[in-house]
Formats: sequence, structure tokens, C-alpha cells
Amino acid sequence: MSQRSAKEMGLVACPRCTKVWPIETDRCERCGKTLHSRSPKSLQRVWAWWVIGVMCYIPANILPMLTTRTLFRSEDSTIVGGAVELIHHGSVGIALIILIASVAIPVGKFFAIGFLALSVQRPSAASQHQRQILYEVVEYIGRWSMIDVFVVAILSALVQLKALASINPGPASLFFACSVIFTMLSAQSFDSRLIWDRHDQMKKSSAHV
Amino acid sequence: MSDSPPPIPHQPNRKPIWSQVSLVWLIPIAALLIALAVAWQSYQNQGPLITIEFEEGTGIAPRETELRYRDIAVGLVEDVRFSEGLEKVVVSIRLDKEVAPYVDNASKFWVVRPELTARGVSGLDTVLSGVFIEGTWDNTPGGLVREFAGLPDEPLFRERENALEIALRTTANGKFTDNSPILFRGIEVGRIGKARISPEGNYAIAEAVIEEQYAHLITDTTRFWDTSGFNVSLGPTGAEIDFSSLASLVSGGITFSTFVSGGGPTQNGTVFQVFTDETAARESLFNAAEVETLELSVVFDDNVSGLAVGAPVELSGLKIGEVQTLNGIIDQNRFGDARVHLNAVVSIQPARLGLDGEVSPETALTFLTARVSQGLRARLASASLLTGGLKIELVDVEDAPPEAIALDSDIPLMPTTRSQISDASATVEGMFTRINNLPVEELLTSAIDFLDSASSFVASDGLQTVPAEVQALLGDVRGLVSSPELQNVPTLLNATLMRFENILKEIETQETVAKMVGAVEAAANAAAGVDTAIAGVPALITQFEAVAAKAADLPVDSLVTELAALAETAKTVIGTDDFEALPGQLGAALAEIDATLKTLREGGLVENANATLASARNAADSVATSVEDLPELMAQMTALLNQASRTVKGFDTGRELSRDAQDAMRDIRDAADAVSSLARKLERDPSALIRRR
Repeated sequence: MSQRSAKEMGLVACPRCTKVWPIETDRCERCGKTLHSRSPKSLQRVWAWWVIGVMCYIPANILPMLTTRTLFRSEDSTIVGGAVELIHHGSVGIALIILIASVAIPVGKFFAIGFLALSVQRPSAASQHQRQILYEVVEYIGRWSMIDVFVVAILSALVQLKALASINPGPASLFFACSVIFTMLSAQSFDSRLIWDRHDQMKKSSAHV
Repeated sequence: MSDSPPPIPHQPNRKPIWSQVSLVWLIPIAALLIALAVAWQSYQNQGPLITIEFEEGTGIAPRETELRYRDIAVGLVEDVRFSEGLEKVVVSIRLDKEVAPYVDNASKFWVVRPELTARGVSGLDTVLSGVFIEGTWDNTPGGLVREFAGLPDEPLFRERENALEIALRTTANGKFTDNSPILFRGIEVGRIGKARISPEGNYAIAEAVIEEQYAHLITDTTRFWDTSGFNVSLGPTGAEIDFSSLASLVSGGITFSTFVSGGGPTQNGTVFQVFTDETAARESLFNAAEVETLELSVVFDDNVSGLAVGAPVELSGLKIGEVQTLNGIIDQNRFGDARVHLNAVVSIQPARLGLDGEVSPETALTFLTARVSQGLRARLASASLLTGGLKIELVDVEDAPPEAIALDSDIPLMPTTRSQISDASATVEGMFTRINNLPVEELLTSAIDFLDSASSFVASDGLQTVPAEVQALLGDVRGLVSSPELQNVPTLLNATLMRFENILKEIETQETVAKMVGAVEAAANAAAGVDTAIAGVPALITQFEAVAAKAADLPVDSLVTELAALAETAKTVIGTDDFEALPGQLGAALAEIDATLKTLREGGLVENANATLASARNAADSVATSVEDLPELMAQMTALLNQASRTVKGFDTGRELSRDAQDAMRDIRDAADAVSSLARKLERDPSALIRRR
């Protein structure tokens, strides 16, 4: 059984109304949506968003995430530093949540997106299905990285006791939010159809041989 | 066969190169540019890093401890580490860029910690927030300096204050409370810093600041005194308790007053004395103690007790200072023995030396140095015979070996000479010993025996009859005088005098007076010869000295013994039979006189005497005329004596010799005076020569 993609058959589907048009069609005559067989410059946009996401992630870890001001002293804590401090205080669970949400997931996303983008350009050991699942997981889980930003936002809003104690978001929270946003944009820019194109080309070339 | 879709005309894509690049790339590029710009800007705005060394780093934490200026953070500690050898704590501070140029050499840094003193609490905010480092510097940028030594305490004087900086020192042996306020009318107008002890340990000195708005209260004539503690006095108005403020009661305080007007403004760095109380401060104003005293060290070879702190130091009998401290020193290298030498530090008031011009310790030292080169030396002398107290005298020593004030040590060292301590007790004791040794009792016994013998002699019968016989003798004399023969005596005397007159006339004609003048001239020549004779005087004096020594050696004891022997002899003489017979012999003698007088009465003696007296009067008249030449004689005598005196004066080889010669002169002069008085008497009353008075 041979699978043929729409592109190979000279067809293109409208992403909005799903009507199929010949591949040369520039615009969907039904809904007016511009038609592309593959998203143009998809990989370029993936890489661009990926780069800025990584850039934002660096200051997000260096700068203080939270500024806690008690009666006479103020304390700044970074993401990792705060987690380590929590471990020292015995709250290993909370520390793990923070580490997973703020470190493991974003870093994992960077690796996953980078891996996907590379895998459509050159041969990869992973199968198309695995990569498709990976892409879906990245797409799904990306928004949860924002949990850290939410925690900071909620704490800042709640703990404002004037001179006694106050918690304010540090500059890292902004960078962290940006990093999450840019990573999600990067994931969205990825055209998952490219995963399969590559497979077809490989097959075709092997068949020719 | 399936229908192929109708061919749709399509235009081949001719895309320009820029359209093949996604616009999204602009975002990371923009982000990168922004990040670079921010990094560059923050690098540009970053202040310099300075390091401060502290003795200890209590509470200093990196990235937390601030550097403050006027209580505003102008820097942050970046790093705290040890210096090499763990000797100090080195704190690195990132300064703000705008203050960096002001942090120059004059900057001071110290750690502000909470402090609880009697005067209150300071640095309370650091209890909870942690310490901070305070810095102070002046308001003119002087170029950044990167390495500083931190102060252990807050400095008294901050660069930005325009306060008056003075120093306060205690009087000798005075006390001091440092870190205390300076009050004026109960208002704090300044502060005293940490006191330190002078190198010689005789006073304490501390820096003090007077706030700018009160600086005009301090003049040259201002006096400071200690008001710490309280003062209780009992007087006619009842008991009085007085203390300035509770704070000064606890922590001490110093106040001041300007008792007299007219003082000039004070310069920074002036040293003031702190007196123990107001009375002392007020008195000091009139004792001219405001001039800093000159300190001299005097080392005496012998360690004599009796010199006390406060003992006077005198120059020509005037008190010019007093002894400040006393201690003993043992310095084998310096003195060549291991004995304890008495080292006295004396303070000399330059004002009392009566120097011209500027009165300062330096001029006083210059003056004393000059005097020392002329032989001025310090010595110990008795201040009081009764108490045995000593004082230090500065005296001129003749033929003193050349010495100078040693300036190589901290305190100039004054050369000394032999002490002159009159040991009164020893002298008095020696005198008493000699008195004790006199044979007083034997002498008294002999004297009593002698008086007894005399008493028995007087009481003897022979002696009792003497008065009656004397009475009879007087009766005979009366008879003789009243006899007519005696009445004729003046006539006879007259005749005798007439004869005398004739003799004197003869003398006149033979120019005897001229001869006498010649004789006197010869005497003058002889006196000139004395010049040479006096050359032998030293030898004579030596002989005299020998004789005197012999005389000194003559034992008083033996003299007394001889006296006693003499008394004994007298006693035996009185006790002899011949002596007992003496009254009888006296009576016989009187009887013989009686007989002689009777014979006289019968002879014509009285008439002869009368004639003689007449002659004598004529002779006296002649003498009067001849005596008129005496003044000339006198003048020549005086000239002679003057010559002799000059000769003796020229003979000034030694004082003792001169003195002896003077004695000789005096004797000669006495003799001359006697001659002179005789001559005067003769001139006044020539007949005295005749009357043999």
C-alpha cells in the first residue's frame, strides 16, 4: 500500500475550510484564505522564535524571580536558588514542582523543538510517529510552563502588607514569561506535515535505488 | 482513465532574496541588539571597585552590605575576603559612578554598628538590617583612590563638617574622660574623641571638635575643665550639690568658659589643657599657664629621697617650674653601672623665664641651651631643713666641664652637677656630741672650789681691817693737799715749764720739724719697698695657715684641762700661808705710804712742782706751733697709704691672698687712723700732751 501525500498528488487543502484545491491555487475561492502546500519559511520561523526563547531563558534564570521584602531586609531569589532554598527547608515536593515547571519543561521544549526542526532537514533515527507524538506533547505542555509566572503574579498580588512584608516580581519573571511565549510560538510555527515529507522523500529515493 | 483537472494557469514564483527570509528573524535580532545595548550601558554605568581594609568584618555580607554617604547608599559590597596572611578583612565595594571622583585620599570609612553608651543608642537601625559601611569625604573631587584603610570607630571629624578641630590634654597627673561631650551652658557644642596617652605617659590627649556655629566661643583665653561627676560643698549657705547634667555625671563631660575678653580666634590644632575644676581653670588664666610648658629630663646620679612630684624648679631662687614625674632608671650602657638613677621630668614655664618676644617652649629651650653652654647645671638642693624636702636648682657652675642639653631623646636632657644637700641633722648631731664630751662637771667643781676659797679670803680678819687703814690714809692725803707747801707747787711747775719752753725754742731753731718731715718721706720710700716685701706675703700666709691649722688642732679639751689646772693652782696659792699674810703686808705698805706723804709735806716739793708746771705750759705752747706742721705730715702719710693700697690691689693673684693683704692693709690703715686721731687730738688740744692724757 503506498501512501501519497496531497502535495505529491498536486493538491492543496485550505487550512480554514478544508476544501481541496489544485496545488497551483493561491487563494481559496470559497473562504478567501491564502493557500500553501507547506507553510512558507516554517523552519526559519521555528528557529527564529527558538533563538529568542532561549535568549530570554538566560536572564530568567540569572535575575531574581521574586523580591521578598520583610521589615528590615529584602531578599532576592532566582528560580533555581529559590528551589534549592526550599529543599534546604525541607519542602522537597514544592521544590520539585518548581524545578519541573520552570526548568525541566522549558529546557525539554527547547531540546524537543530543536530536535524536530533538525529531523526534518536530515535523516533521523526516530520514526515519524514518535516525532509526531513528541510534537503534540510539546504543543500541549508548553502552556503549563506559565505556572511559575502565575505563582509570582498571585504571590505579588496577595502579599502586599505595606512596610511589614511584600513580595514583588523580579525582572526574571518577565523574561521567563517571554521565554515561554516565544517557545510556544516556535512550536506553533512548526509545520508538522514536514515530518512526513521527509519520510516520503527518503522512501522515494530508496525506491529509485 | 480519469480526467485530469483542467490546467490552471500559474505564474512561476520569482521571489527576491529578502523574501526568502522570514521577517520573524527581526525579533531575535532586535532582542540581541537590545541585550547588547543594555549590557554595554550597564557596563558604562558601572562604578569603580574600591577595596577597604578593616580589622574585623562584623556583619559585613557581600551583595548586601551597603556603603552609605549621608545615609544614602552609594555602593554595595561585592566581596569580602582576607588579606594575605589573614591579617585584615578586605572588603570590595562597587561604588556608584557619580560619587567615585569624590572618593579621594581624604575619604574615611568605618562600619556602623549598633552602640549603646551612657549618652544614648546609636546605629539602632543596623540591629535588624545589618551593619553598613559609612563613608565620608569632602565636596571637591580629588581623583579616585582605590585602596583604603578602614577606621575602627566612627571618626570624630567628618570631612564635610566645617567644625573647629582642637586637642585637649590633661594637666600633669590629671584625669580625663574620653568620648564625652563638650558642654557650654548645658548645650552640647562639641565632642571629644578617643584619648591616647602621651609617649612619656605623663598626660592624656584627645582630639575634639567644636561645631561650626559654636567655634567663635573658643578663643586663645578659653579654659576647659572637667565637669564629670558631681561636687558637694558645705558652706555658710548650707550643703550644696552640683552637677552639670545627668549625662555628664555618668559619662563625664567637659565645659569651658572664656573668663577674659580679647582673645584671638583659635586655629585648628590648638592644644588646650583640661583643668580639674573651674577654680583651677580660672586661676590658671592669671598664672600664665596657657603657654605650653617646656619639658626637661634631669637624671641625677644618686637616688636621694626627698624629691617629690610638684617640688619647685628654681633658677636664681625664682620658681620657674616644677617636677612633673619621677622615676628611677637603670641603664648599664648609659651610666656604666647598674645602680638606680633618679630621673625627674620637670616642666618649665617659659613665661617665667622673662624672655623677650615670643614665649614658647622652643624659645625657652634655646635660652636654656645657651645658658648650659655657659655652665648652667641642674642640681638637687635642700628646700627645707626641717622636712628634708628637696628641690631642683639651676645654678651656674664655674669651670664646669662643657656639656649641652641632649636633644636626642624624646625629652631634652639637662646636665647635672653635684648635689648640695645640707645634712642638717648630721651637723647638729656632731655639735651635740662635742658639747657632750666637754668636762663641764669638773670645771664646775673647780669653779665652786675657787669661789669658796675667795669667799673665805674675803671673810678673813686681815682683809676686814683694810678699809679702816685706807680711811686713815685718805685723811693723811687730805692733810697733805691742804698744806701750804702744796699750794706752791703750781709756781714751781711754772718755772719748769719755762725751762721746757726754752728747750723747745732750741728745738725750733734746729729745724727739728723739717727733719721729721724728711723722716716721714723716708718712711714713704720704705713703704714703696713694701711692694717688694709683699712678694714674701704668700709665704707668710702659708705660715699663717700653718699656724692657724695648728691653732685649729689645739684641743679645746686640753685647754679646759689647763684652765682647770690653773684654777687648781690658784686655789693652792690662795690656800698658802703667804697669801693669808697678805692683808697684814698691805697694811704695812700703807703705813709706809703714810710716812712718805708726811716727808713730802715737810719738804718744799710743792713749790718745785709749781715752777715745773709753769715751764710745762710754755713748752706746750711751743708744741702747738710745731704741731701746725702735722697736717702736711698727715697728707704724706695718706699718700703713702694709698700707694700701699694700690700695691696691694695690684696684687690680685688670688682671692685669698688678696684678702690677707687687705687684712694687712686694714691693720696699717687702723694704725694710720690711730696716728691720725692722735694728731687731731694734739691739734685740738696740745696741752693734752703735757697733761699726759
